[in-house]
Amino acid sequence: MRIAERVARLAISVGGIGTILAVAGILVFLLWVVGPLFLGARVEAIGANPMARPGSTSTLVHATVEEGGLAGWSLQSDGTLQVWRADTGFPVERRKILVTDSITASAFPLQGTEAALGFGDGKILLPRIALRSEVFDETKRPDLVEQLGSASRGGVSGELFERVPGNQLRLVTLDLDLGAPIETGLSGRVRLVDLSESGERRYLCALSDAGPEDPAAKPVLLLLRVERTENLLSGEVSWATTRTQLPFEPDRERGTPTHLLLSGGGDLLYLAWDDGHLVRYDLRDADRAAAVEEVELFEDRAVLTDIRFLIGKNTLMCGDSRGRVRAWFPTKPPDARTLDGIQLTLGHSLCDGGPAITALAASQRNRVVAAGDEKGGVRLWHVTSASLLASIPPPADTAPGVARVDSVEIDPKEDGLLAIGSSWMRRWKIDLRHPEAAMASLFTRVWYEGYPRPEHVWQSTGGTADFEPKLGLVPLVFGTLKATLYSMLFAVPLALLAAIFTSQFLSPKLRSPIKSTVEMMASLPSVVLGFLAAIVVAPVAARIVPATLAAFLTVPFALLFGARLWQLLPARISLRLSGLPRIAAMTLALVGGFWFAFQAGPAIERLLFAGDLLEWLDHRRGTGFGGWIVLLLPISAIVVALGFARTVDPWLRRTSLTWERGRCARVDLLKFLAGALLCVGVAWTGARILDGLWLDPRGGILDSYVQRNAMVVGFVMGFAVVPIVYTLAEDALSSVPAHLRLASLGAGATPWQTAVRIVIPTAASGLFSAIMVGLGRAVGETMIVLMATGNTPVMSWNIFNGFRTLSANIAVELPEAVRNSTHYRTLFLAALCLFAITFFFNTIAETVRQRFRRRAFQL
Amino acid sequence: MRAAPRRLLRRATSLSAQGEPMLWLTGGALVLALAMIAGLLVLVAWHGSSTFWPRPILRVEKVGGGALLGEVQEDETYVPEGTRTPVRRRELRTGNFEISGSHFQWISAPEVASESRPEWALVVERTNWGRFFGFPTAFEVDGKSVATDPERILEAFDAEHPAARERFEARHELETDAIGALNRRMESARLATRAVELSHPGDAERLAEARRLEDAARDELADSYRSIESRIAALNAENARREIVLTTVDGQTKKIPLAEIVRIVPSNRLSAWQRFAVYVSRWKEFLLDLPRAANSEGGVFPAIFGTVAMTMIMSLLVVPFGVLAALYLREYARPGFLVSTVRICVNNLAGVPSVVFGVFGLGFFCYLVGASIDSLLFPERLPNPTYGKGGILWASLTLALLTLPVVIVATEEALSAVPGSMREGSYACGATKWQTIQRIVLPRAMPGILTGMILAIARGAGEVAPLMLVGAVKLAPELPIDGVAPFVHPERSFMHLGFHIYDLGFQSPNSEAAKPVVFTTTLLLIGIVVLLNVTAVAVRGKLRRRFAHAQI
Repeated sequence: MRIAERVARLAISVGGIGTILAVAGILVFLLWVVGPLFLGARVEAIGANPMARPGSTSTLVHATVEEGGLAGWSLQSDGTLQVWRADTGFPVERRKILVTDSITASAFPLQGTEAALGFGDGKILLPRIALRSEVFDETKRPDLVEQLGSASRGGVSGELFERVPGNQLRLVTLDLDLGAPIETGLSGRVRLVDLSESGERRYLCALSDAGPEDPAAKPVLLLLRVERTENLLSGEVSWATTRTQLPFEPDRERGTPTHLLLSGGGDLLYLAWDDGHLVRYDLRDADRAAAVEEVELFEDRAVLTDIRFLIGKNTLMCGDSRGRVRAWFPTKPPDARTLDGIQLTLGHSLCDGGPAITALAASQRNRVVAAGDEKGGVRLWHVTSASLLASIPPPADTAPGVARVDSVEIDPKEDGLLAIGSSWMRRWKIDLRHPEAAMASLFTRVWYEGYPRPEHVWQSTGGTADFEPKLGLVPLVFGTLKATLYSMLFAVPLALLAAIFTSQFLSPKLRSPIKSTVEMMASLPSVVLGFLAAIVVAPVAARIVPATLAAFLTVPFALLFGARLWQLLPARISLRLSGLPRIAAMTLALVGGFWFAFQAGPAIERLLFAGDLLEWLDHRRGTGFGGWIVLLLPISAIVVALGFARTVDPWLRRTSLTWERGRCARVDLLKFLAGALLCVGVAWTGARILDGLWLDPRGGILDSYVQRNAMVVGFVMGFAVVPIVYTLAEDALSSVPAHLRLASLGAGATPWQTAVRIVIPTAASGLFSAIMVGLGRAVGETMIVLMATGNTPVMSWNIFNGFRTLSANIAVELPEAVRNSTHYRTLFLAALCLFAITFFFNTIAETVRQRFRRRAFQL
Repeated sequence: MRAAPRRLLRRATSLSAQGEPMLWLTGGALVLALAMIAGLLVLVAWHGSSTFWPRPILRVEKVGGGALLGEVQEDETYVPEGTRTPVRRRELRTGNFEISGSHFQWISAPEVASESRPEWALVVERTNWGRFFGFPTAFEVDGKSVATDPERILEAFDAEHPAARERFEARHELETDAIGALNRRMESARLATRAVELSHPGDAERLAEARRLEDAARDELADSYRSIESRIAALNAENARREIVLTTVDGQTKKIPLAEIVRIVPSNRLSAWQRFAVYVSRWKEFLLDLPRAANSEGGVFPAIFGTVAMTMIMSLLVVPFGVLAALYLREYARPGFLVSTVRICVNNLAGVPSVVFGVFGLGFFCYLVGASIDSLLFPERLPNPTYGKGGILWASLTLALLTLPVVIVATEEALSAVPGSMREGSYACGATKWQTIQRIVLPRAMPGILTGMILAIARGAGEVAPLMLVGAVKLAPELPIDGVAPFVHPERSFMHLGFHIYDLGFQSPNSEAAKPVVFTTTLLLIGIVVLLNVTAVAVRGKLRRRFAHAQI
């Protein structure tokens, strides 16, 4: 017996605690997935840091490391190409690829197969320089395995190899194709060149000195459109070139430009000078290309040291001698002062001062930029969020002149970093994790490329490879709040009023079936509601917008009016009919209210909205007057009611002391009608005044109509929220101790007075917690908003427009998100937000409810 | 007694004290809420149940020539652009998608020249392209017409159709079951080789042996393939012989092979009783058959099966653990700050949005646990995930977590409702704690526990948002439980009624044609949920009554 007892205790404790822990595990797991979003970058030096720079005979043109991080190559201006091991700098191949010429200008686009090299005699080459890697079984090359021995990496002349998992080898070899010179027609020294690739088309721009035949002539700025055609049968590649000379006047004071950049797609050209002066050419129509904009990149006397494109070749990164790193990009502001409507805008200032920037490099994967400075330090930023990801200090013991960073490069997979100085080379392994997600970029306004100003944007996926995901959660949080607000505006009054009637004025016989019916509706699948909202409610609502607006006013009016008529009945009769017949009369008033709204709909549309509400909402007709009336009527009704309660009611109470009931009822009816007229009058006057002041309600909560909108969601969400709020509120009202009610009734209070002054105040905290629970449900509702809104993440309070909520966004995007990507983790963060919001509301509700219970118990 | 009304009469202030207008507002709110609920149910019930009723087929001659043939789907009045007078228009389901490119046509009253209900208009339900509306012109066997009179054509059709359908089913069975079995054997042979590759890397001898076995299996299976394929070809050839020739309302002819026809309904000739028979047979098809025509027609059996299976697995998981947790909290844990905090948290968890549970399920069950299982047990199948994706087991576990608070709260309430005097009585008789719980407390708490369970099932059956993430799919012809060893496949994706509604109504390429079926599916889902709820109420009531007399 003792054993059974122990076993039971153990099993129940373990099972019980385990279950509770499992539930707590949900929160822990969400945090565990979200956590890495906010972890900083990791940087780790590779090999001897610094190591000797492979071959330092002449100026470095370009150096980079291949995808696997095993090998790198560098090109010097004398035409020497070297391949070296990336972790030791040990050279395995050295080739002189150009026999006579030396390189005078070069461009190595971030993405693309070819580079552009310019020479002293006006020749331009588009060579392909790449390290090709292949993976094969160890058995295929026993000689390499022997070479490797127990090491994992090795290299012999011309070949670098490493072991990869699965008993395989990866071999890296140089893949070089110099290609034929491009027909440029230039004969002078090529000073600057840039290359842009889109599909089979290359845009090439070069600035060259005048040729030797006429040395006094001015420099030539040339745009070449090169189309690559490959003969399918012979595999022969030929280039067809279209040549356009662009207007260019050399600047007397500044001399020739020092930087030339050609945007992606070859439609914008930038020329920059040392002093920060930048000229933009519009090349969209090559024959009419012209300089359209001039910008000073900085106002002081700094020197522009490097300027480069970010991925996508749109944003310009500029580094200068005063240590500033800034991002400029073209925007289209409405008030642009340029001919083509585009204006170069300073988007981000990454760094406002420090050691002079000497080299910049952009990542091939995202908007990360690396900058090396004259003291030998290297820093990494994420441009859009302007956050410093890593800062690598200069090596401890190098002479000031030697430490200068000549070139930095981020590895293609963004897992390594290379910096080269005059005699040294440094390598790091980097893991940036999720550079684009910082608290600031998730929750504050962010200035995205091409946007005229910082904005909250959620746009997680796009069509092109260089698309930048915009992960601002604020539009989604906004959508969630909007859905909640509009549905609560509709559901809470309905549910609370219905609960008051059920608990206080309904006979117990009716109460229990009605309550269990409504309760049952709480478990109605929300996918059903969403489906009905989108398929039935939305199309119908679009046709009867005026009537719907009218119904919000006519239905309460009809009920209040019906009550006044009911009062006209003699007391004896109204007492006898106070059960079901009164409910029937209320139903009749309700139906009457709706009927009236539908009858009045077209008239209202004609009178207030110039005949067509939807066009009126689109700003296509009418003035703001009608909208103001609709908005002001509820306010003026409250004002008039309060005014009457202050002035007319006390007087009426005094004078009517001696009146009989029928007369009171008649006077009350007249008072009500007078009040209603007054209310309309006040609203009318107010609307006239506001309209006279040229204020327009359109653009705020009234604006263009979209079929799947917040009004539809608010109405349908009512089906989901009303049952919950109703049930909890009714419970709270019914659990007010009976002796309080009875005492109040016994002291002569009417049921209504008892309800308002005794029951509702006592149950107030219970009602509050009912609202909170309803709020929690509305916040997390997924299927209704997913199906009944357009799911566009816009931020406007317009009741006739859609939105995108956190929950719907998760349901739509999570199945597509790549595991452990930034997008995936951000969606988990969205789930965590939802969890937190609902947990917050529910905790409030629960605490208040427990207090209410204790109080009700004490009473 | 007579004094009361008189006193009321004399009290002049009674009118405002009675608050009649405000009272009407509260009453109006209740009536409105009830009307909304009733309206919703009536709407779904009406649309859902009328879908399968054979409606008369209408032939509409248009004013400018041309004619339409179809069933009236909707009837409404609208105001055309630029005018003020409302016009009546109707939506005809005209079918014939492969000819007209749409399933529906709107026609407004001024366009109609005349209407009739042709006696021999037929609606043909087919396996693809949706419905066909037309008139019978011939019944052909081997391309030769054997009947041209409508009545004879239908007779011939009735005579031949069952056999043709049987052949069609037989072919389908061969295609799915027989060839499916061959495919499975082929796949397992491939996986065996891959397993050898992984477990003995570099062992060329074993690998060669495994490859040899795989090739042998492949050769052996190829023969079976050929024999099955020849049987399929024979059935196809036999089925291709019989066709019914139909003419559309605008004179085009169309031959439809008998095997592709599910049923032909000459709606305008049917008596009320025959209509009812068609109605019942359509319902039967809906409940028991597989979907066809991109889910927009046919049945929803896999969805019903998936919903029921998922809910059952879920309740098997959630009820024991929920009851354990509640027993621990109520009977074993020492009451104090910690327990009340845990209780608040569990209560709150009931309010956490379901999609959050879905996120957790996807991240934890599918991607973490599932992927680990895959790399441990099924490395040869990678990179194709086995458990590392959505499946019915993960969906059930996710929903079990989701409904856990419901069960815990209901059970706790039931446990606390057992009077203390009964426990004390039991202890006084010498029973131990476990004996008391087992014999006294649990039986009396049973109604509450059962209610909790049924409510959990009702919630689980209606949830869609988390299922979208952890395994519900639009089409899963393989059921999670079937006749193929090991009979239960917890890793398979499944269909779900709620997800079916979402998918058909919003993701379907042809959501307009699917609308009637969605309404019926909705009716079915609401029916299930309401039935479960009513059962919960009834069970609670019954068990309460049983214990009522024992109340102390």
